Amino acid sequence: MLRYSIIGAAVVALFVVLLAIGDNYLLRLATTVAMYVALASAWNIVGGFTGYPSFATAAFFGLGAYACGVAQTYGVPLILAWILAGAVTALFASGLGLAILHLRGHYFAIGSLVVADVLREITNSWTSLTGGGMGMNLPLIGGSTGSQAQFYLLAMVALAGLSLLAAVLIDNSKLGVALRCIEQNEDAAQVIGVDTRRAKVAAFTVSSLLVGVAGGIYASWVSYIDPIDVYDVSLSVKPIIMALLGGVGTIAGPVLGAFGFLALEELIWRNSLEFHAGILGLFVVVLVVFLPGGLRSLQGRNIWQLATAAFTKRWA
Amino acid sequence: MKLKTLLTVSTLATALVSQALPAAAQETLKIGAPLPLTGALSPEGIKLRQGYELWLDKVNSAGGIKAGDKQLKVELLFYDYQSVTPKAVQLAEKLISDDKVDLLFSPFGSGAAKAVSAVAEKYGVPLLASSASSAEVFDQGYKNLFGLYTDNSTLSEPIASLIQERLPNVKRVAILARNDLYPLSLANEFEKSAKKRGLEVVFFEKYPIGTLDHSSALTQLRAARPDWIVITGYINDLIIARKQAGELRVRGQVLTLINGPAYSEWINAVGPLAENVTTASWFHPVLNYKSEDVFGSTQNFVAEFKKKFGTEPDFTQASGAAVGVIAQLAVERAGTKNRDAVRDQLVKGNFKTFFAPVSFGPTGIANSYIPPVFQIQQGKVQVVLPAEIATSEFRTGIGH
Amino acid sequence: MLLLQVLTNGLALGGLYACIAVGFSLVWGVLNVINILHGSMIVLGGYLAFFAHQYFGINPFLFAPFAGAVLFVIGFAIQRLAINPVMGRPVLITLVLTFGINLFFDNAMLAAFNADYRKVIIDPPLGVFEIGSVLLPVDRLYATLLGLALVGALWLLLRGTQLGRAIVAVRMDRDAAALMGIDVRLTYAVAFALGAFMAGAAGALLSGIFPISPVSSGSYLGKAFVICVLGGLGSIPGVVAGGFALGVIESFGALAFGPEHALTISFGLLLVLLILRPQGLLGVKGFN
Repeated sequence: MLRYSIIGAAVVALFVVLLAIGDNYLLRLATTVAMYVALASAWNIVGGFTGYPSFATAAFFGLGAYACGVAQTYGVPLILAWILAGAVTALFASGLGLAILHLRGHYFAIGSLVVADVLREITNSWTSLTGGGMGMNLPLIGGSTGSQAQFYLLAMVALAGLSLLAAVLIDNSKLGVALRCIEQNEDAAQVIGVDTRRAKVAAFTVSSLLVGVAGGIYASWVSYIDPIDVYDVSLSVKPIIMALLGGVGTIAGPVLGAFGFLALEELIWRNSLEFHAGILGLFVVVLVVFLPGGLRSLQGRNIWQLATAAFTKRWA
Repeated sequence: MKLKTLLTVSTLATALVSQALPAAAQETLKIGAPLPLTGALSPEGIKLRQGYELWLDKVNSAGGIKAGDKQLKVELLFYDYQSVTPKAVQLAEKLISDDKVDLLFSPFGSGAAKAVSAVAEKYGVPLLASSASSAEVFDQGYKNLFGLYTDNSTLSEPIASLIQERLPNVKRVAILARNDLYPLSLANEFEKSAKKRGLEVVFFEKYPIGTLDHSSALTQLRAARPDWIVITGYINDLIIARKQAGELRVRGQVLTLINGPAYSEWINAVGPLAENVTTASWFHPVLNYKSEDVFGSTQNFVAEFKKKFGTEPDFTQASGAAVGVIAQLAVERAGTKNRDAVRDQLVKGNFKTFFAPVSFGPTGIANSYIPPVFQIQQGKVQVVLPAEIATSEFRTGIGH
Repeated sequence: MLLLQVLTNGLALGGLYACIAVGFSLVWGVLNVINILHGSMIVLGGYLAFFAHQYFGINPFLFAPFAGAVLFVIGFAIQRLAINPVMGRPVLITLVLTFGINLFFDNAMLAAFNADYRKVIIDPPLGVFEIGSVLLPVDRLYATLLGLALVGALWLLLRGTQLGRAIVAVRMDRDAAALMGIDVRLTYAVAFALGAFMAGAAGALLSGIFPISPVSSGSYLGKAFVICVLGGLGSIPGVVAGGFALGVIESFGALAFGPEHALTISFGLLLVLLILRPQGLLGVKGFN
């Protein structure tokens, strides 16, 4: 617990400093990192605790973004629109969960992956509601640039905090125990009387609720959304990379991973105009092949030892 | 260890970033340009950048822009926004607040230009939109947004009038549109132009981005027996669509495809099927405007582009260079890089460029020229409208 | 008559679709890896065919096996270097890994070839077959027949050769195969390389009909997903059935609901099938 408090305090301090400095670009980066924390922590509830390889984050994110966009166009106030975005997404996810959570492994992965494609195409063709391929403009909130940036940062940080809180609460609850049992051995969990279906759907729903709200806040924040952007497959994969980076299934892992990933993304992107995606791809390969336990496996060892270990293992 | 690693990463980041900042020497004009160099729009992003670079080389090799008694070196700051609109917005903000640019060039396309225009407006930075033509981009009352392209309806109206005048028996119109901001908005304009003239729209369908096979849609389109067929999309879509329409023997009196047929890539790819296809475009290398910019004329621009890149410039490549010369002319006339003075010059307009004579209307969209209508005749691009620059007569029928 | 033409349009793509998906299915079935890279390997095959045509005048349809051979080597190397270390790890790891390799691959192709669409121009054009009033473009017929022939060759390889039997054995029971003296690691690499071969060949066939660009890799991958789930994993006849089914469904779907819904229909169908019958229409345990 002490560790979490230290990390928490550090994050809060960072946040206060940021608000004080108030450089808009930094505020944007900070908002992005808060969004990443929320997405990675939310994913971790399904992907880490429960061990289900969900690639549905983009679907929930896009759905939340569009739910918020449509609600705002119909005059629903901002905060209410975000809550609505979460509710719509959670409702959708609970139904989807009932349908696809009996699938395992690769079938579940594929099933969750194509949900975003289906939603994107529906969004694209439902022009009267969503504007289709023309995208959608959301009403701007008033106030100066600085105060808007601060407002969205605040909102996103609050959501990140909420996601962490949800993760901690679930981790320490009966649901958490059930999820860990499922992760270990689903059939055995059933035998010892865990209602696995209910537990899985609950985890899926909570996770999607957080992602849906993140999509909603994002939509108001950038004020223009289009289907290709908010249902992008990288939104499904990035949270997983973050969790892998920081440690899957832990509370702090996704948070650290989110910070680490953003730092890397930014660093690579700034230094390579045309090949940043390729370098990021290489980084993902290195991470997965050499550091399967995330950054934590660096503890007490250095990267060369790890690399040589991995090499000898491979060619053995 | 963990903390140490993070610290190392961040120091490294700081070091690299500070290194990337240019040393303040001669006075420079800084222009920010978010570009889609990777992702779905990368073909367009790369083309736009070629246009920028041609202009940039030309200006800087001539010693920069003359503003009052100073010579300003031009520095263009590119960033890749990965074809992701919000990333473009984020970068525009970064370009303004971190890099302190004097002017902005827009990202590609109408949607992204609209999204970025809000940022430009907030900070009062003039934004030159190289590739936005949908009226919705310009309806927000912004004072800093200037669009090089004329409204989409200026593409549909001349063709519709031409058809009405020459082919009074054309009654039935079929439209197939790419479900994407610009092509869809264009298709809607064609529908309006057709209906306005009492033509019946017998088929209007959209196809998803990335469609490879149009045979089903075209089979249906053929069954609707249209006289005039309009298909919107980009060059790859229109290669496939034209080829498949030929294979399925789709018939009609006029075939209009936008954007693509005016380029040799397209004509080579479809061969004899290109015959008599009509299209319209804001720019084409056959044009010949005398200009007061660094290029001197359209023909000279085309020649220099060919020399540098080995191909004829298409309208996206030309737009990149065109926003460059407009920025340059505005700064020269203002005699300073002061944003307000430059903006005043942009509002005044009347820039004679190699692209077209450019002035901006009250909303900021260009309204000073009408995009020519082209027709492919014997494998060559001919201008059929407006009459002043026409190189050939309009012909009817579509080739097989 | 309209319906007959629409049916022909759909069937004309079936063999090509089967060829697009069969390598993906093989890799999934044998290595238990969802290969996100598959679409990009198809695109690379298309580029190879384009350059072979441009510089040496080689017909892209005839070039298909050579494009496949190049991809075979690349696939073998990728499996050995990057995928082998994570064999047997959960789908999360393997999928993220191939996603990462794909980011690299895509970006490399973008840098090497630019993103403009390239089109192989077959001169003179191959023309169109007329059967009554139904029209069938000759290039599509070639591509679909050749696609089917390649898929058939793979089927024979798996059934009739020692190598093929080793692959099937590893798919059915990895440990038993190892006990029988099969080099499991080598078999994995060869199976992945064969998947890459089929992708490269499919790319070459596609390049004879459609323009190619790095940005289309995602749509090929999406088709491979749908075809595999339609036909069922682990069976080559299933993939062929899935390929033709997708062609016909897309074609009639566009007719009934409009072309803009073609993708929605195929992905929606995928989801429904996954939910109701995850083993697919013809799914079986062994790879045959």
